[in-house]
Amino acid sequence: MRPLIQSGVCPLQKKQGIPSPIFAIPRALPAAWRASGRALRNILGFAVFLIAWEILASAGLINAVLLPAPSTLIAAAGDLMLNGTLLRHVGASIERVLVGFALAAVVGLTLGVILGWFRILSDFIKPLVEALRPIPPIAWTPLAILWFGVGNAPSYFLVFIGAVFPVFVSTYSAVRNIERTQINAALCLGATPRMLIWDVLIPGALPVIFPGLRIALGVGWMCVVAAELIAAQSGLGYMIQQSRLLLQTQYVVTGMAVIGLIGFAMNAVMTAVERSLVPWQESSKPT
Amino acid sequence: MQLKVDRVSKDFPLRGRAGVLNVLHEIDLDIEQGELVVLLGPSGCGKSTLLNIIAGFMPPSAGRILHDGIPVSKPDRRRTVVFQDYALFPWMTVQRNVEFGLKARGVEAAERARLALDFLALVKLTGFEDRYPYEISGGMKQRAAIARALAPDPDILLMDEPFGALDAQTRVLLQEELARVVAAAKRTVLFVTHSIEEAVFLADRIVVMSSHPGRVRGIYGVRLPRLRTAETRSLPDFVALTQQLWDSLKPQWRAEEETAAARVTHMS
Repeated sequence: MRPLIQSGVCPLQKKQGIPSPIFAIPRALPAAWRASGRALRNILGFAVFLIAWEILASAGLINAVLLPAPSTLIAAAGDLMLNGTLLRHVGASIERVLVGFALAAVVGLTLGVILGWFRILSDFIKPLVEALRPIPPIAWTPLAILWFGVGNAPSYFLVFIGAVFPVFVSTYSAVRNIERTQINAALCLGATPRMLIWDVLIPGALPVIFPGLRIALGVGWMCVVAAELIAAQSGLGYMIQQSRLLLQTQYVVTGMAVIGLIGFAMNAVMTAVERSLVPWQESSKPT
Repeated sequence: MQLKVDRVSKDFPLRGRAGVLNVLHEIDLDIEQGELVVLLGPSGCGKSTLLNIIAGFMPPSAGRILHDGIPVSKPDRRRTVVFQDYALFPWMTVQRNVEFGLKARGVEAAERARLALDFLALVKLTGFEDRYPYEISGGMKQRAAIARALAPDPDILLMDEPFGALDAQTRVLLQEELARVVAAAKRTVLFVTHSIEEAVFLADRIVVMSSHPGRVRGIYGVRLPRLRTAETRSLPDFVALTQQLWDSLKPQWRAEEETAAARVTHMS
C-alpha cells in the first residue's frame, strides 16, 4: 500500500522540476493572471446577461415597450448624452447626494463619538435615535416638501436622513468597542481630551466607521433618486419620472442603468479611499 | 518613599449573585525612588489589579495610593504603563507612538522627533521608526512600548507582565535589555510577573503575593550586583534565591491552583 504522504507535492519533486500532479497547477498560476482572470470573469458575467437579454428581446419574447432591449438603451443613452440632458441630470443628482452625505457624515460622526464616549448622555439620546432609525427615508418626503418646498433642499434632507443613521451606528459602536487598554495607554501618557479624540478615538474607530460611510453613501444615492421622483425639477429620479409620464421606457431604463453604474462606481471609490486611509488594517489580512 | 500603597483593598461585584469578590485585601507597600520592585504571584492573585489601581485606571474599594505623598485619583504621565499586549496604537508608526506622550506634554514637533529617536536608539529600534506595529515582531513591539512609556519622563514605570506574551528566548533577551535600559534611565519600576526567575533576575525587592484574596505574603530583598547581565543567571546567589522561592511557593501555589480549579468546577 502507498503511504498517504506520497499523494501530496513532495519538496524533492519541486526542487528537481518534476511536474507534480493536479494540485500544483492552480498554485503555479502567477498572481497577476489570477487577478486578471477574475476581472475577465466579472465582465463575462455581465456580457452574458446583456446578450441573453438582447436575444430574448429581438426574438420578441420581451415586450419592447415594457422593457426595451440593451441596444435600444445604448441608443437612448447616446441621444441623452448628445443633447446634454443626461449629464445635467447626473450632475444634479450627484451634487444633492454629496451635500446630503456631507451633512450626514458631520452629524453622524459627531453624535456617534459623543454618545459612544459619554454613556450617561447616550442613555438619554440613544433610544430616540433608535426609534427614528426604522422610519424609511421615503416616509419623510411629505414633511420634507412641507418644510423645504420644492428645489434642492428636500433632496438634501432626504439624503441626510438616509445616510445619517449608518454613519451614526458605525461610529457609535466603533467608539464603544475601542480597546480599553489603548485608552488607558493614552491616559497614562498624559493625553489631553483633544488628543484622546483626534489621535486615539477617531483613528481607532476608523476601520469600523469606514464601512458605515460606504453604506451611508449607497443609501444616500438611493434616497436622492427617491426624492427626485417626487420633490425635484431635475436629477435622474426626475428624468425617470418625466419619461414614465411620456411612456418613454427606454429613458426610464437608461436612467435606472446609469443610477446602478454610478452607485457601483461610488462604492469602488469609497473602497479605494478606505484602503489608503486605513493602511494598518493590513494586519488583519492573512499574509 | 516615592510611592505608598496604603491598606488598599479591592472588591468586584459578583455577576448575577449577591456579595462581592475580594480581590485585594489590605495591601501595604512602600516603593523607594530608583527601586525595581517585582510583584510576584500566581495568576488571579490580584497583582495586575493592584497595578491598575496604582496607575489610576480604577479606584480602590478601600485605602489609597500616595505618589510623593499626594493621593492618586486618575492616570497621569508620572506613572506610565507597559501592557502585556503592548497596546501600541496600530494607526501610528513606531516613532509616532513614542512621540505620543511628548505631544501630550506640548513638546514641539522637531524636538519630539529628536527625543523619540533617542528613546528608540535606547531600546535598539533604530531603523524601525517608520514601521507600523503590525510590521514588527512581538519583542520589537514591546521595545517600542517601553520607549513610549519612558519618553514622557515618568517617575515610575509600571509594567504589567510585559514579557508574558513573548517566546522564551525573546523574553530572556528583553529581561536583559530592560535591566540595562532601566539602569541607564535611573527609573523606579514596578514590575508584575508570575515567573520566579524573571522576578529574581530583575528585582531589587520581590513582593510575593497570595490569592483569594490577594495579600502580601512576604517581601524578599535580592542581593545581586545592581546591573544585571546574562552572567547574573549563573551566580550562586541567583540560583539559591530562585530555588528558595520555588521551594517555599510551590506547595502553596499548587494548593491555590487546585482551589481555583475546584472553584471553577463548582461554579459551572
